[in-house]
Amino acid sequence: MAITPMEIYKLLPKTNCKKCGEQTCMAFAFKVVNRERQIEECTPLFEEERYEKQRESLLKLLEPLKEATETGLIVDEDKCTGCANCIVVCPVHAADDPHGSGIGYGPRIEDPIYRLENGVLKIINMEKCRRYGKNRILCVACRENCPSDAISFLEG
Amino acid sequence: MYTCTGCSCLCDDIEIEADGDDVKQVRNACRRGAGIYLNLNSSRSKPSVDGKEVDFNTALDKAQRMIAESENLAIYGLDTTTIEAQMLAIELAERKGAYIDDNSTFCLGDFVKMILKKELPSSTLDEVRDNAYVVFYWGTDPYHSLSRHMSKFSYYPRGKRRQRGYEEDRFLVVVDVRKTHTAKLAKKNARFLEVRNDVELISAFMDALNGKAPSIFTKEIPRIIKEMEKSDFNVIFGGLGLRYGLKGRYDLFKEFFEKLNERTNVYFIPSGCHPNMRGFNQLMFEKTGEINSYSFKEGESNEEFAFYRLLESSSIDTALIIGTDPLNSLPFEYVKRLAKINTIVIDPRETFTGRIANVVIPSSISGIETGGKFVRIDGVEVELKPFAVKNTGDVEILKRLLEVV
Repeated sequence: MAITPMEIYKLLPKTNCKKCGEQTCMAFAFKVVNRERQIEECTPLFEEERYEKQRESLLKLLEPLKEATETGLIVDEDKCTGCANCIVVCPVHAADDPHGSGIGYGPRIEDPIYRLENGVLKIINMEKCRRYGKNRILCVACRENCPSDAISFLEG
Repeated sequence: MYTCTGCSCLCDDIEIEADGDDVKQVRNACRRGAGIYLNLNSSRSKPSVDGKEVDFNTALDKAQRMIAESENLAIYGLDTTTIEAQMLAIELAERKGAYIDDNSTFCLGDFVKMILKKELPSSTLDEVRDNAYVVFYWGTDPYHSLSRHMSKFSYYPRGKRRQRGYEEDRFLVVVDVRKTHTAKLAKKNARFLEVRNDVELISAFMDALNGKAPSIFTKEIPRIIKEMEKSDFNVIFGGLGLRYGLKGRYDLFKEFFEKLNERTNVYFIPSGCHPNMRGFNQLMFEKTGEINSYSFKEGESNEEFAFYRLLESSSIDTALIIGTDPLNSLPFEYVKRLAKINTIVIDPRETFTGRIANVVIPSSISGIETGGKFVRIDGVEVELKPFAVKNTGDVEILKRLLEVV
């Protein structure tokens, strides 16, 4: 299931107690998705017994956050067949590697975002991705062109 | 950089990290291609005679004797070996007056023949990358059969005249009987036509080209034709679905192409076959004017000379099978007769046919352990660079077999 701020908000105490330092629980939920804040910083959720059930389901919901890369990308290698659509469509690859992955070959630069290794997709350098860092763009070109849904993002 | 011989794409940008012949990492290859390199040494065949393991020369001697004694020999396979080996196999068949056939009989051979006879306009995959606007996939699912086809040659890469790639400079059309993985990619600037009958679809296209309203896909077909007219280079990739969907109506298909080419330029490239099928077809075409199912005794090609028909009619006493596994790929009804005749298998890997064969001769994997040339499906010759030279290649084995005829 996609991890959205709304899904997280539903399971937070919703009291806007400001103990975490945010103005509202919703604001806190946003920052948890972006991994700027940790869920443990919501102290009432962990201290008060009445939130126990909510806490459990919330921790379960946030499980995939741990395996995802900094940009929220998850690659399921079992589903990948190595068609390389994602590598070729990537706008960053097209700009930085116009004579390699830009025209369909394997990446010819040292630090591409993706590369096919042993027949499946491997993430090499996430920092190049347009989704990385503060001024990011929520680009989904690789996910859109993966027919087997091997690529997914946390936000769905 | 190595060339992968896993399918008819023949991707030439494979990088390998290895310690001797122990492959550690394969880069840029798809799952199927990488599998060939990573499992280089697994399930390799061993020389054997009548199921017992023997040394290489004993197996070869036995094969030589069988070929010398045979009166009706058939040579089958050859689609995964180099054109040098194919030439020798054709020479062997010619000298012996034997039958020769490959998988193209029931694969895409008919289309290759039409292209070689110049009845269908064709082009190369590199031209497709640089120029193609409308890209048709008809009766083929390249995502599975030719994994890197779309990303390396047709829809996704940017080309000289198609700088913006799939986003604006391509139009994808997928024709299939169900929503395949490739059809899932038909989103923006694309159409997916789910058909029940290919002949009906061609007739509908013909109607639209003649200025009438098409009977099916009344909105899609005029739009596709309009898109085709925007560019001077469009391509149709036809697979086995199209070949069998046409039910032998090739005249209609050719007429359809003529009609299309009056309006715009449309090329045809078969897609989804063995890596060097076209090489064999071209060699046969140069030599005999036919592409497969050929008998050098009668000097003609005939449906009756297709390998499975020869088995059905019990007209051969010896079968020389090179680099293919008929027991796995042909109907059991026919191939069970292989157990009754003399069967010689030349293959780098263990096969089902090898288990029932009288003689098994292990060979090297073409393109990985021996060099040579393959012909890509669009007719471009590709030179192969072996990565770990070892074992005896098909060329040496066939040369030895030629000594006795």
